[in-house]
Amino acid sequence: MWLPFMGLVIGIFLGLLTEIRIPEEYSNYLSIAVLAALDTLFGGIRAQLQNIYDEKVFVSGFFFNIILAASLAFLGVHLGVDLYLAAVFAFGVRLFQNIAVIRRLLLTKWSNKQEKIEKN
Amino acid sequence: MKVKGNHVVLALVFLVLGYMIAFSYHITERVNERAPKTNKQWERNLSLRNQIINEQERNRDLQNELNEKQDKVLQIEKELSKEAQVFFNLAEDAEKYRMFLGKVKVKGKGVEVTLADGDYNPIEENANNYIVHEYHVFKVITELYISGATGIAINGQRLSHNSYINCNGPVITIDGFQHPAPFVVTAIGDPEVLSSALNLSGGVTDQLVNDNIVVSLATKDEIILDPILGN
Repeated sequence: MWLPFMGLVIGIFLGLLTEIRIPEEYSNYLSIAVLAALDTLFGGIRAQLQNIYDEKVFVSGFFFNIILAASLAFLGVHLGVDLYLAAVFAFGVRLFQNIAVIRRLLLTKWSNKQEKIEKN
Repeated sequence: MKVKGNHVVLALVFLVLGYMIAFSYHITERVNERAPKTNKQWERNLSLRNQIINEQERNRDLQNELNEKQDKVLQIEKELSKEAQVFFNLAEDAEKYRMFLGKVKVKGKGVEVTLADGDYNPIEENANNYIVHEYHVFKVITELYISGATGIAINGQRLSHNSYINCNGPVITIDGFQHPAPFVVTAIGDPEVLSSALNLSGGVTDQLVNDNIVVSLATKDEIILDPILGN
């Protein structure tokens, strides 16, 4: 259980240490990518709770979404259309949905437990 | 094993996630650091810029001043070089004048005139009639000076512009030093001119000979006159 946590800590550490200067207009891509990563992460948690979790889907979705979001934003910048807004919107909505589902699932689980305790 | 492999993949995912989040946070922070200039910063920029402009103007003024000063220095240097020439000439003149004044040793062509008392002559009742007097020496010296002698010595003693010659019985006193006969007058100058000036018929030599003085004249290629002592 500690290995993913270690990965997170090392990742944060590396990110804070990195002193690469990227142009300001590219920071958009990064934020989109972060959003995509978070979305995939919560999607994975939801799938886990719904017992339909598939690791291949999760990992491939994680990286693919990141790359897709970044390239979409890149394309948008070069076409003069704010396509990254579309990505923000889509990922944002899905993020909220996922979190809502997770909340409901957790609530259901919790109430089931309570009922069991009451029955006992 | 399966669980562990699962964890490794998850760790990779979290690593990327953490890296991205941290990096994004980092960049955002940096962008915020470069936030739009506040009023204060702007004012400071302005004042610094004005300062720079002032400094530049001042630099330009100073540069102009420097150029003017350099021109002046150039002129002064030119004048100095002229002055150096003048000083050189002055030094040469001074050297020449020192030679005339007898402050330094001089060397040159010239003549040597020896004035000796005449032989004892029993016919003459007055010995003054055949010994050399100071006015004979004067005559010779004056003649030499007139004909262009630049330095004269009597018995090796240089004469200067304020020398005096006294008749002092059998000896003559030159600048306080007594000299007996015969008197050797050495003069530096053109030997031919000097000798012919002395030998003019009815001139100095004739007059001296008339006064029963033994005069001998010799031209010399090199005469060395010592400087005046104690001066």
